[in-house]
Amino acid sequence: MTAVDQDGVRVLALGRDVVVDALFDGRRIWSFWVRRDTGPARALRRRVDWPRAMRPHLRGTSQVTLREHVSGRTLWDGEIAFGDESRRVTFVDRQGQEISLDKSDRFSPTFSVRTEADLAPLLDAMGDLLDLLGREGVAAFPAYGTLLGAVREGQFLGHDSDADLGYVSAASNPVDVVVESFRLQRAAARAGFDTYRYSGTAFRVRVIESDGTARGLDVFGGFLDHGRLYLMGEVGVDFRDDWIHPLGTTTLAGRSFPAPARPEKLLEAMYGPSWRVPDPAFKFETSAHTQTLLNQWFRGTSTHRREWERRAALRRRRPVPGGASKLARTVARREPAGTHVLDIGAGRGRDALWLAGKGLTTTAYDYVPGQLRRAAETAAERSVPLDVRELNLDEWRSVLSEGARLSRLPGRRAILARHVMDATDDFGRRSLARLGSMALRGGGRMYVETWTGEGAGEDGLVPLPIARVRRVLEAHGARIVSSKEVPPGDRGNTGSVGRVVAQWE
Amino acid sequence: MGVKWTSRGRTSELEARVKMLEADMAELRRHHLRLAELADVVQELLIPMADQDRERIDAAIASFQASL
Repeated sequence: MTAVDQDGVRVLALGRDVVVDALFDGRRIWSFWVRRDTGPARALRRRVDWPRAMRPHLRGTSQVTLREHVSGRTLWDGEIAFGDESRRVTFVDRQGQEISLDKSDRFSPTFSVRTEADLAPLLDAMGDLLDLLGREGVAAFPAYGTLLGAVREGQFLGHDSDADLGYVSAASNPVDVVVESFRLQRAAARAGFDTYRYSGTAFRVRVIESDGTARGLDVFGGFLDHGRLYLMGEVGVDFRDDWIHPLGTTTLAGRSFPAPARPEKLLEAMYGPSWRVPDPAFKFETSAHTQTLLNQWFRGTSTHRREWERRAALRRRRPVPGGASKLARTVARREPAGTHVLDIGAGRGRDALWLAGKGLTTTAYDYVPGQLRRAAETAAERSVPLDVRELNLDEWRSVLSEGARLSRLPGRRAILARHVMDATDDFGRRSLARLGSMALRGGGRMYVETWTGEGAGEDGLVPLPIARVRRVLEAHGARIVSSKEVPPGDRGNTGSVGRVVAQWE
Repeated sequence: MGVKWTSRGRTSELEARVKMLEADMAELRRHHLRLAELADVVQELLIPMADQDRERIDAAIASFQASL
């Protein structure tokens, strides 16, 4: 029958697929479907290993229980020793919060371990944000898991880890829907919310719960056009406006919130006809066509940003390395005193810190500016002025507004772009050249370094022939001052390196 | 065009045309987001810039960037 050990689970799969919770010392940590999420084993059994994210936590002993989520039937229960450490297995984060796996297989303090007092700031923020959106002309309501929890259980779903709001715009085309979402984010930022944009029609507000846990409150926009509803990020279905408007109400954690006129219609569009049956291991099965439409209309302003954020988070605590790259030394040598150096894609800020230390006015830019915090602190400790700013080459608004800001500042400027063109996409490369044309007009130079494809490039880089670098710069009005390529092995480079210097007259 | 299609030739011709149409559609759809970005920049930045008041321009850029 069912067996559980240090590596994973073997279950007998007969009849309909069912969702099973894995509890450790009585607390749900993970859920899986016995057919969908498992592979074949001997006889009629199926097997699945503990998820990769769980493995670092599996040290010590625990009372492990497998329980069918819907019926509550226990399939297996027993004590398991993971390794020989004499301790209980714990699932807590750095702040000591109890965590479990959410539907994206990421660990977070899911709602099941939150008290009413913990959640009050989130519920308050939901109310405040709904009021603000209402004043901006948008009738929003709890959406996705938050709507499902409210309608089915009157509570947040225990296995969920964020809260969602949604609205159906009065606009009927993607351009107006995106412009509206920009306006709503601006209103939220002005009201003091900490905001973060995911796509053309989704942004997040960061809410700090009463014990300091950060929780995302996502705002998803949608629109109806000729009887078809599109709602970021998973819905594209035939729908009627009177299933949404005028809004009704629902109850969540004892408070009243607005809801679509026919919430069951929207829940079916989001979760399928079986939305009434709890499923802590739910995975969206959005059609390929809907995904394509939503991607092409609304996404493309945060390509690979999550990977860069993850990488940055791993290195956040380490000190900024000393010294400088060869390219930064070239900039310091060739540019006259008083030049304002813009280090684009500054990473952890090693070059920027070094340049600022040499007395050059320096601004460090990154897609993930959080990873420059350490450099900013170090600069402050050394009483070296270093400006740190966010720049998103995949978003025209970021590039154009920064170009406009820079073009109004006096003085000579130079751009240092080391491993940026080979870390972004075609759109980002064109944006960098566009920023050069705005910020360097009048004789400023851009110093570019890329991995050209031979040998090993650093993590996250794509090989980029030097001719393509020259072409994109020239297409944006630059004159190439110098261009050379050095093979792997030269001065310790593991990959071939292209260096291009371009100037805007 | 005077070309007699074999059925295989006709199929691959249609496949190529579908692929091209899909690429054209994708390109058009991707313009929505960029057009929205430009509309936002024009509305929020170009108009304050037109009145040439230095402080108002600086404030408009700062406020615009605070909500990206």
